[in-house]
Amino acid sequence: MSPDVLVKADRLSRVFDVSKPWLNRVIEREPRKLVIAVAGLSFAIMRRETFALVGESGSGKSTVAKMVVGLIPPTAGDVQLDGVSMFAREDEGKRRQLRHRIQMIFQDPYASLNPRWRVGDIIAEPLRAFGLAADAAAIEARVCALLRLVGLDPADAVKYPHEFSGGQRQRIAIARALSANPEFIVCDEPTSALDVSVQAQILNLMRDLQDQFGLTYLFISHNLAVVRHMANRIGVMYLGRLVEIAPARDLFAAPRHPYTRMLLDAVPDLTASGRPRKAVEGEVPNPIAPPPGCTFHPRCPYAFDRCRGERPDMTSAGASLAACHAVAEGRI
Amino acid sequence: MTAPVLSVRDLRIEFATRRGRLVAVDGVSFDIAAGEVLGVVGESGAGKSLTGSAVIGLIEPPGRIAGGEILLRGERIDNLPPSRMRLLRGKRIGMVFQDPLTSLNPLYRIGDQLVETILTHTRLTPAEARDKAVALLAEVGIPAPESRIDNYPHQFSGGMRQRVVLALALCAEPELIIADEPTTALDVSVQAQIIALLKRLCAQHGVAIMLITHDMGVIAETAHRVAVMYAGRIAEIGPVRDIISRPLHPYTQGLMGAIPTLTGDRARLEQIPGSMPRLTAIPQGCAFHPRCAHAFAACQQRPELLPAGPSQVACWLHHNAVPALEASS
Repeated sequence: MSPDVLVKADRLSRVFDVSKPWLNRVIEREPRKLVIAVAGLSFAIMRRETFALVGESGSGKSTVAKMVVGLIPPTAGDVQLDGVSMFAREDEGKRRQLRHRIQMIFQDPYASLNPRWRVGDIIAEPLRAFGLAADAAAIEARVCALLRLVGLDPADAVKYPHEFSGGQRQRIAIARALSANPEFIVCDEPTSALDVSVQAQILNLMRDLQDQFGLTYLFISHNLAVVRHMANRIGVMYLGRLVEIAPARDLFAAPRHPYTRMLLDAVPDLTASGRPRKAVEGEVPNPIAPPPGCTFHPRCPYAFDRCRGERPDMTSAGASLAACHAVAEGRI
Repeated sequence: MTAPVLSVRDLRIEFATRRGRLVAVDGVSFDIAAGEVLGVVGESGAGKSLTGSAVIGLIEPPGRIAGGEILLRGERIDNLPPSRMRLLRGKRIGMVFQDPLTSLNPLYRIGDQLVETILTHTRLTPAEARDKAVALLAEVGIPAPESRIDNYPHQFSGGMRQRVVLALALCAEPELIIADEPTTALDVSVQAQIIALLKRLCAQHGVAIMLITHDMGVIAETAHRVAVMYAGRIAEIGPVRDIISRPLHPYTQGLMGAIPTLTGDRARLEQIPGSMPRLTAIPQGCAFHPRCAHAFAACQQRPELLPAGPSQVACWLHHNAVPALEASS
């Protein structure tokens, strides 16, 4: 493995069982129902880069985030951080030292902070859990430094989360994530619940912290414009699969997969030069019964027979990868 | 020029609380003409949705309309008794809310909900009402409406549900539709479909639409005019092109700079320092002045919404008659 790779996901899959209880299945003669949330996802995240995953609701972005930090185990495949598997039994011991190097920032700052804890305790929790501070005075000093770092007042440590606005709460969540000195932070829609002006503040803060501490981000969002501002490389997900991985600049300048093109066309145009916004056909299909072959073919204007029967593999061109028969054959 | 469909004059909404009266909407005035889409943008707590709720008479206590008037085709509707307002609501003013799952009754088939609304507001027979419901569903782009009409809301996807809600709002052929964040809960690809639908309805039926959203992109594509709200007041109102490409109010300028775009490079976003004031502590004078980079002495007094070019703006930077304070500073 290249020394520059920090996180590597290898054919990561996750299936959720959403069937009815056993008795109902027997009586109603129904088969098991399985949702394939993530299917065979492979990607690598380099040190100090921001890798973004974009996709519509139900494309499996958040499931990937949870698997990468080890909150849910994958059905198949593995995630490695610095060569240490997050799930293999033989790496159990090494994993312990790994934990504090990974942190997560969640979407909803109203739900991710314990309302009964003071902000100082919330931020100090990772320090205590990992035994990273020598004594109470060291913890307090660190909490003050962290609050200042994210643009809050050290006096805020004694307040409760309800005394803060959404943007301030997200700053607290960032301070908590930073308290264990992580290298890798998984951000699951960190600004989706915030207003645009607050979003700009939080995104700028995240960029500054990345430069200051050399952080690596896995940034998950449905907002392409936000991703454009944050990411070095972008992976586009559709129905649990990656359809395209490309450097940010290339993805926006020359999207290759038809789904990426469709997503870009669907974004409202602010400069509104009169670029016609294409009305997109159809919606994301039911993941319980995904279409055969390429899962995007029912909505794809370039679909042909091969797409209906055969699942496309990732093919590379330059720095980008796309999973599309039409792209591979050079038809588009 | 004919009378505007909706005319709001100096609207003031207050909440009586233990800590005194909070002014959530303060002196808001605007007009919407037939076939026009007025976008109302602003951040959470700016008073956008409250203004919409006031128009349809859905302000709940302890909130109340404390001043101003709301005119529908020149007729006052803000002081109507609840029974008369109920006849108006749905008949002459349609509503579309943010979350299509909570605005439909999960226990009734969508056809029953449509037919009920049609029968309430028109003189059609039940059979005719059902035909009309099918036609409405076809109009909002639901495939196979004859069979889908007997489905329950949970059998529809988010985008399809929002189409059903739009059909419901159109039942009685209203003159005005209040759309409160109609696309916020939807994915971009579906959002594009709903926006196209709204625009078509506006053009074909000449409906006036008040489109409340925090998404400037949606406004840019849909609205003819935009009102930018801040702390319960209109900061700037004008044609959509001018507001987006040449915003006058410093708040609008900050807001536009804060929006990440697809064309921009991987660079820092502009940010407005601080955050929106709480209702308990709205600053004296111009509500934006503590966060404004251009604030000067005159900003201690509240600026009126006055014409500046094609727009109207409430900012002393663009007013000729700056109060006397400036001379002394």
